[in-house]
Amino acid sequence: MTWWIPLRSLLRNRRRTILSVAIIALGTAISLFVYGFLENSKLQIQATTVKEYGNLQIASPQLWDDTADGYEYLISPETEAQVLGLLAEHRGITGVTSQLQFPGLLAAGKLTQVVRITAQVPGNETLNIDDLVIDGRPLQPADVAAVLIGRSLANRLALKVDDVVTLTLTTVDGAYNATPLRIVGIYRFTSEQVELRSLFIPQAFAQILLNTTGIDRIIVNLTSIGATDSSTAIIQRQLDEAGLSLKVKTWNELSPFYKQLAGFFDILFGFLTLAVFVLVFFIILQVLTLAFLERTREIGTIRALGTTRGEVLGQLLLESAWLALLGSLTGVAIGLLFGTGFNALGIEWQPPGTVEASVLAVQVTFLTALPPFGVSVMATLLSAIFPAIQTSRLRVVDALRVE
Amino acid sequence: MSSDSQFCHEKGLAFLEARSLTKTYQVGSSAVHALQSVNFTAMQGDFVVINGPSGSGKTTFLNLISAIDRPTQGEVLIQGVSTNTLSERQLAQLRKDKIGLIFQSFNLIPVLSAAENAEYPLLLQRLPKTERAQRVQAILSEVGLADLGKRRPNELSGGQRQRIAIARALITRPKLVLADEPTANLDSETGAQVMDLMRRLNEEHCVVLLVVTHDPEVARYARRQVRIRDGRLMEGEGS
Repeated sequence: MTWWIPLRSLLRNRRRTILSVAIIALGTAISLFVYGFLENSKLQIQATTVKEYGNLQIASPQLWDDTADGYEYLISPETEAQVLGLLAEHRGITGVTSQLQFPGLLAAGKLTQVVRITAQVPGNETLNIDDLVIDGRPLQPADVAAVLIGRSLANRLALKVDDVVTLTLTTVDGAYNATPLRIVGIYRFTSEQVELRSLFIPQAFAQILLNTTGIDRIIVNLTSIGATDSSTAIIQRQLDEAGLSLKVKTWNELSPFYKQLAGFFDILFGFLTLAVFVLVFFIILQVLTLAFLERTREIGTIRALGTTRGEVLGQLLLESAWLALLGSLTGVAIGLLFGTGFNALGIEWQPPGTVEASVLAVQVTFLTALPPFGVSVMATLLSAIFPAIQTSRLRVVDALRVE
Repeated sequence: MSSDSQFCHEKGLAFLEARSLTKTYQVGSSAVHALQSVNFTAMQGDFVVINGPSGSGKTTFLNLISAIDRPTQGEVLIQGVSTNTLSERQLAQLRKDKIGLIFQSFNLIPVLSAAENAEYPLLLQRLPKTERAQRVQAILSEVGLADLGKRRPNELSGGQRQRIAIARALITRPKLVLADEPTANLDSETGAQVMDLMRRLNEEHCVVLLVVTHDPEVARYARRQVRIRDGRLMEGEGS
């Protein structure tokens, strides 16, 4: 009927309204803060994962499925050139490189460590780890028997820049091979496991060691993470049309850790949402039931004056919509303010399995505010439905008798 | 008021009729007969006082006439239409358009100002804002509260509240106004002022005015009196 009568009704008992708004706002603010924190954590892990894997990787299905016998999955130079030609037509790609990964055994004196060697193209900025080198220098195009090792491995084997280590491996033909490698740099990474097990050597030298001219994957970086799925579909179609038996995998397919963590975060937020929903629902149900009950006689009066049941129901629901809006908006404002303040503190935390502390932060954007806002509004509106229907269905004559 | 005055020339037409009106409440295993086969007719422009002791069935009668309750037996006809045949929505429409109600405890909406309380029935009728404002101003002047429109009910005296309730009952220009003990919560002087106002409005607006009371002072104002005792209606007693 009118928007302002329900608003006035809401404000008639200010103490109760303030209490209701505070409950909704608290639920919204907590929900927003936690959701913002989880979203920020996800974004950080996304960035780290893309840094590690690139946006997309193109390789033989045998490599992805781990069904190859030996090095059958390697991509020949001709196929690589064909793929690079296809990718050159695609807009939205910021860089392309190739890699060759294989296992090996690193020996330093009497100490050994099973490692995974990543053979890179030095100087190619796609997926290089130049900015992660904390001692020595990155790999350079002129390097031959050079290696970058992780900080944790250097600590475990007591290695430093310019030390020489021995790498033992199996060639593509199945023969044993071994080579000395000079440590030119030590890199850092967020994951201790990566620092312990991943070595980086020049790709051309790796191909000599393995006795091959092939690579095992082509890595593609895109302008944005959001473009990953659409670009994957286009590139896969191009590869299929060209008759190339290669499969594109995205960064999140390549990182089971990210998928597990994202799933865990979603479950965590789901539980929190449920808890906030139940809390807001039952408290507001109680408050509104009482508020509507106190106005039984008034409801009887307006029904007697000719207000229909539907109009009464509409007014009561509109009242709860105002309450939902006031509470949720207050909660969003508090959540965003608190989040901004929290970010300004710059609190550091070292997650398990990592070697570096990261700054705890909350994602404070309009988009992160939407789900908590929606949940609180929904909980409040749903909590109003039952008492509103019950009140609107009162018999007028009975309602008027209530003192 | 011209249309009302013109309508009042049709005095003598039956506006309201109650036929064998019966209301029985079930209290536990026993039946309480609040009204027993009441017959009643009110003509256009009638001012009827219904008196009787507490618990005699006066308010039950008024509730049935105002279509906020349904009879156990019998029927109420307003302008020839039986309320028994109307749906809940149609009854609400009837109350909104044709009936004005005045309650013993005023029943004003506390969050609305005096003017907004008077305006409320017009909001239900979805009249344009300008017309609503004109009618509110006119009715508040008529009940002598033109200057107090912005006050909330709790800022008004009992008499002023009842005047606002009267303004609310009359603002839609109803053909039937029902008042349940309108002076019960007022002192005698204020009660007299309210009844003077109601009689004047009855004459000027030519509405059917039914006032339920057990106050003999109020009965003086009516042109016709009926008495209810033990759920039965007796015409002319006490007049």
